[in-house]
Parts: sequence; C-alpha cells; structure tokens
Amino acid sequence: MLFSSIPFLFYFIPCVVILYFAVPKCLKNSVLLLSSLFFYGWGEPRYLVFMLISITQGYIFGILIEKHLGKRRSKAFLAASVLFSLLLLGYCKYADFFIDNFNTLTGMSVPLLKIALPIGISFYTFQILSYTVDVYRGDVPAQKNYINLAAYIAMFPQLIAGPIVRYSDIAKQLENRTHTVSGVALGIRRFIIGLSKKILIANILGELVSVFKASDEKSVLYFWLYAIAYMLHIYFDFSGYSDMAIGLGHVFGFRFMENFDYPYISGSITEFWRRWHISLGSWFRDYLYIPLGGNRVSKLRWFFNIFVVWMATGFWHGAAWNFVLWGVMFAVLLIIEKLWLLKPLKKLMILNHIYVLLLVMISFVIFDAASITGALSYITAMFGGQNIPIVTFESVYYLRSYLIILIVAIIGATPLPKKLAAAVEKSKHTGLAYNVAEPIVLMLLLTVCTAFLIDGSFNPFLYFRF
Amino acid sequence: MSIKFKNISLVAMTAVFLCGFLLWAILKPTDPESVSERRPLATFPDVNGESVLSGSFMTDFEKYTLDQFPLRDQFRTVKAVTAFYILGQKDNNDIYIKDGFASKLEYPLNSDSIEYAASRFRFIYNQYMADKDMRIYLSIIPDKNYFMAEKNGYPSIDYEKFISDMRGHMNFAEYIGITQLLELSDYYCTDTHWRQEKITDVAQHLAAGMGVSLSAKYIVNQADTPFYGVYYGQSALPLPHDDLYYLDNEVLKDCKVYDFETSAYIPIYDLDKTKGNDPYEMFLSGSKSLLTIENPNASTDKELIVFRDSFGSSIAPLFAEGYAKITLVDIRYISPNMLGRFIEFTNQDVLFLYSTSVLNNSITIK
Repeated sequence: MLFSSIPFLFYFIPCVVILYFAVPKCLKNSVLLLSSLFFYGWGEPRYLVFMLISITQGYIFGILIEKHLGKRRSKAFLAASVLFSLLLLGYCKYADFFIDNFNTLTGMSVPLLKIALPIGISFYTFQILSYTVDVYRGDVPAQKNYINLAAYIAMFPQLIAGPIVRYSDIAKQLENRTHTVSGVALGIRRFIIGLSKKILIANILGELVSVFKASDEKSVLYFWLYAIAYMLHIYFDFSGYSDMAIGLGHVFGFRFMENFDYPYISGSITEFWRRWHISLGSWFRDYLYIPLGGNRVSKLRWFFNIFVVWMATGFWHGAAWNFVLWGVMFAVLLIIEKLWLLKPLKKLMILNHIYVLLLVMISFVIFDAASITGALSYITAMFGGQNIPIVTFESVYYLRSYLIILIVAIIGATPLPKKLAAAVEKSKHTGLAYNVAEPIVLMLLLTVCTAFLIDGSFNPFLYFRF
Repeated sequence: MSIKFKNISLVAMTAVFLCGFLLWAILKPTDPESVSERRPLATFPDVNGESVLSGSFMTDFEKYTLDQFPLRDQFRTVKAVTAFYILGQKDNNDIYIKDGFASKLEYPLNSDSIEYAASRFRFIYNQYMADKDMRIYLSIIPDKNYFMAEKNGYPSIDYEKFISDMRGHMNFAEYIGITQLLELSDYYCTDTHWRQEKITDVAQHLAAGMGVSLSAKYIVNQADTPFYGVYYGQSALPLPHDDLYYLDNEVLKDCKVYDFETSAYIPIYDLDKTKGNDPYEMFLSGSKSLLTIENPNASTDKELIVFRDSFGSSIAPLFAEGYAKITLVDIRYISPNMLGRFIEFTNQDVLFLYSTSVLNNSITIK
C-alpha cells in the first residue's frame, strides 16, 4: 500500500488512527504491529513470511547476544544474525544479478531465479542489523517484548521507504511515549506537505520523465529538461515520502530522524551527502565505515574504506552495475574533495553550487539509466555528443508545459519557503492571518492531492472515437 | 487565533475530511458507469483466499476506491483546473483547449499503426477486390489538431507525411484529398467529430472524385438535447455545450437503413440517442459493424461500399443521393474475413474513409 493512494488515505489511516487512540496504552504497540502487518501484507501478502522470519531471528539473536555479552558466543550470535539478514537480502535482491554476471563471464546459462523483490526488505534488513549490532555493542538492551521489537521493525510509516530508524533512537518511545494534539497536528502538517511534494511535484515531474523516455524526437534541450526533471523528481518523491513517514510518526507519538535537509543547496558533494538520505548515510558511517577503520588509518586504507562504503551504498540502491558506478562516482568525488577541493569550494560562492548540482544531476542520470551504456549515451547527448538537434518543437512544448512546476520545484528544494513561512508566522502583522490560513491551505492541498489521485484512474474508453 | 486552537482546527478538519469521505464512500450506492469517460466503473471485487493471496483483490479494491470515490467527477475538475490554471500545464491527460475548441494531442506519428491499418485494407483489397472491376478510393479525414495544434504551440504529427505514407501503402486506391475543404469550425468544440451540416461540400467533393454528382438541398434540423462531446467529459472542465444539427431531405426520408447486427431496419437519425451518453450516435446509431443505406428513388444502380470509422456515420447519408445502395463497413467491429458472407463484391465504388486519429491508433482495427 502506498501512502499516496486512496485506500491508504481514506480507508487505512482513519481506521488505524481511530483504533490506535481507542485502545489502552498497553495495546497501542499491538495495534501498530497488526496494522503494519496488514499494510505490508496488502501489497505483498506472500512476503510477510520473509519479514516475520527476519523479525523473529532479530528478536532471538538480540536476546542471545545480550545474554552472552562480552563472550565469544555473543560475537558468534551477532555474526549469525548479520549473515542471516544479509543472505536473505542477497537471495531476494542480488541473486539474479550475480547469476546474470556469472553467465556473462562464463558463457554458461544458469537460469535466473526471477524473485520479485519484497518491498522494503532493504530498509527493514538494515534496521534489524542496526538493532543486533547496537545490542552487541551494549548501546541498547535487547528488547524482550516481541511485539515491541516487531512493531519497531515493521512500523508502517517507515517500512517501505525509510527513513532507516535506529532502534536506539526510538527504544524509549516504544515503551513510553506521549500523544498530544500538537504532536498530531504537527504530524498531519508534515504528512500533507510530504503528500503534496509527492503528488503535486514528484509525480508530475515523473510524467515529464516518462514522456521524454517515450519520445522519438529527442534534443539536447530535452535531455537537459529530463535530467533536471528527474533530479527534482527523485528529491521530491523521496523526501516527500520521508516527510509523510515522519509526520505519521508524530501522529503515533514517535520522533523519527530527519532524512533530508535541502541537499540541493550544498556547496560540496561532502555536504550533499550530509543532507541527502541522512539515515542511510549515517547508517553506513556507523555500521560499515567506522568499523572498517574510518579515516583513522593509512591514506590507502582510508581510500579503500571510502570505496567499499560507496560501492555498498550504490549496490544497496539496486542490483545493477549502474548503481555500483553511481556509488563509485561519489567515492571518487568525495576522495578528490577530501584531498584537494573542500577548501577551494568554500571560497567559490556560486560555482560550488553549480559544481554540486551538475555532478549530482549526472549521478542521477546514471542512477536512472537501464545500463551503464545507456547512462553514457544520455550524458553524451546532454553535451551535444549524439548528433541530435539542440531544440525540437516537442522539447519546447514540454518545457513550456512544465515550466511552472519546475520553478516551483526549484524554489521548493531550497529552505526559502520554510523561512518565508516562519517569518510570516512570527510577524506581529501577519501571524494571526498565517494561523488562520494554515489549516485551510493544508486542507486545500489535501483536496487537490485527492483530486490528482482520483484523476489517476482517468481511463477513457479505448473506443471513445467509437 | 492561538496555536492550540490552530492545532485543534487542523486535527478536526483532517478527521472530518478523511472520515467523512470514508463514510460517504462506504454508504453511497455503486455507480455503474462513468458518463464522462464512457466506460463501466469498477465494482467491489470478490474476496476469497486466492484473490487475497495473489494480490488481485488489493489491486481491484484500489481501482474500486478510485472509480467509486464520492464526487469523482468534481475532483477530476479540481485536478484539471489545478493543472491548467495553477500549474500552467498546456494539456491535462493530453486534452487541451484553444479558442473554445477541446482536442486531444495526437502525437507522435505512429508509423507502425499506419502500416498495420494499410495492411488490413490491402488484405481486404486482395481478398475481395483485386480481380474485380472495382474503383477503389482513399480519403483521410484530419483530426482537429491539423487545424489547431501547431499554430498554438502543441506538438502534432506531420500530416503531409502521414497522408503520403498512407497513400504509399495503399497504391491500389486513388486518393481524394479533403483537407483543403475543412476548417476547425467544421468540427464540434467538445467532440472529436466533424459537423454534418458543415460537410456537404466534402461529400460533394468525394462523390465527384468517384464520378458522382451531388446537388441535393437539405433542411437543417437541430436536436433538442445539448451536445456534450467526448472531450467535454475527458477535459473535466465546464465547457459550453455544442448544438447538434442533422440534415434531412426527401431523398433521405425514403432511404432505408438495414443493420446486419440486429437484422432490422433502423432510422438514419436516431434522435433517442441524443439523450444517451454519446449524442453523436444519433447518426446511423453509432458503432455498427455493417449497415446498408438503400435509396429506392435513386436514378442510378451504382453502389458504394464505404470502409469507415465513426466520421463516416455523419457523411454517409449525404452520399445517398448518388447511389442506389451504400454499404458501410466498420472493421473495428467485424473481421474482414467475414465480409464475403454479407457483401457481394462486384463492381461497386469502394471508399476507404478514415480519420487520422483511428489510423494513428489502429490497434482497434481487426
């Protein structure tokens, strides 16, 4: 089930919220767990088994790790849990990638497993890994209550698209949290803003991306339009989802970590990765980069650590070489910045932003490509290397048709609207008007989002020309 | 307004919005069809173990919730208004409006589709006409985009290439061009079709191209019901309606239309259809696979076979004056393989009369 769907907004959420606030405190986590299982099972009924097995192994190994803390057995249990999680993830997500490459290298034809990737497996696997590692490190006590642990791992607000919530961050909230009207209102506000980012910006830009891909009349302008649209689409799609997850967390009394912090205003790639998908970046830092030695090692080993982390980051996003290339590209850029560029970039007030936006845009072209060859073809086309016209009638039409959305998206990707809203809210002259207008504007946004969702079912009779 | 009151207001308004529509959706009766989209709407899906485990129940339930959502058409209007007037998009679901005329983007030129349509026409020619003394003609009706797309900055197909390709694929037919006789006002504002009262010159030109002279005068009648064409519903915007006119004279009054599907005679103009979902169906009762128009007062024994789409419904009666019998075939609804059972191909004139919209989306042709 998607957040941006009618069944979720008008059936699932009202029922779950009513039930959640109707039951006593001791049953709230049970309601969360059951509703999360329903939420997950709605889209993937067969894959509930995978998730429940993962949760159960995390629960058992967590207790065993804690029981033998400080002993070798504890490490063995941790290794077993990590291995189990990674093997399951590897089987579901990467098996066909390895078989395909094996076949290419050897000329053999080992049949592909063709496993449909269980939704959210990358997210919940990382949450289980962080939980067992944190227990092993002694950072958190093992959770003895299965329902609480399962509610944490399966919690529907962050189950399918993050943010990757650390157990240590919400362990106390799982046991004891408060629910207030202001918290619920904050959550609703955040959710509607996220929903609007997803439906009114990301989805529309996604249409432009699809139109571009289907076109036979590409031009240099069209490639740039696509690259910019995709770059904004992926930001508003992902950050919109994170906003919705964080908002839902607030409604249920949880405080999830922020996942995005206006990444496109970054002055360096290093800064970009502090602002983009923060929960993933910090996860790899804490559970891979630092255990590998981080930067407190020889320079060569440091570079190796960076490469390992970024190849893993790329591979986490998808089982294809273009994702690996995408990760390696960032590894190279980060090393170059750490060695030479970080200081000069700070002095280049405008050029540093252009540098970041250009490279990030290229990285997302690679990210979106079906293959490395496809990515290179797109990138060369952007720079006039494909013998295509600079402009076509079609590309100008779509530029005109999507211009306002693009401008809104570009402004929305900066902190400007938030700062403006805060200034208006705090002002003596406009504060009252702001407080009156805010709920109305949010309701209007919800109405328009609903309208866009309903129009998604627009499906005129094929024979309408009769 | 205090922050506390603002928060309470927001929570209350959201609860009313979500729960209100939930209750409304549950309690409202199921709508069988969408008039604006001219299609049946999804109904509540069957629930059983297999449908749940396969996920088909969930997929169908989502379709059901979307199709049966309260105020669905009004929400579609909100979306259209937002897309056009707030987000500045040039089209909404490929529908655009210029100078009061609504049209659907017909783009890009689909060469495979044209080739496929031509291959089906060639099959008919080879099967029934190649060894006969028959005169074969082709004419292509431009869609509204021909007149309004490019000049308003909308992408449109290269019509010259389109017609040239079609002529190239159908070298067994003589081409009769009609684009020069048409203009945007010859089409309905809210519909894809041309207006019968504006195409008498086109009928005369086509007939002349086939060696037949037409000179009849017609009385212009207006249907009582306002005509909201297919683009009215699809645009979801409050466009003004069209008026539906039809032409009549003594010749047409005596003509008899035989419907092979129902084995019955039907009227040329079925005015009851003007009250239905698609009033344009009043012309020869809409989508019919095989019809004949017999003119008992014809001064000739010439016959015409028209392979046509829906545009043919309104122009075909205007040929009646010049032919004793006109056979109308729509191979979207009848397989060309079966035509020999119903039509004796001898020495008739044959006209392939198709709109660019159908030729560019010819998947529906059998």
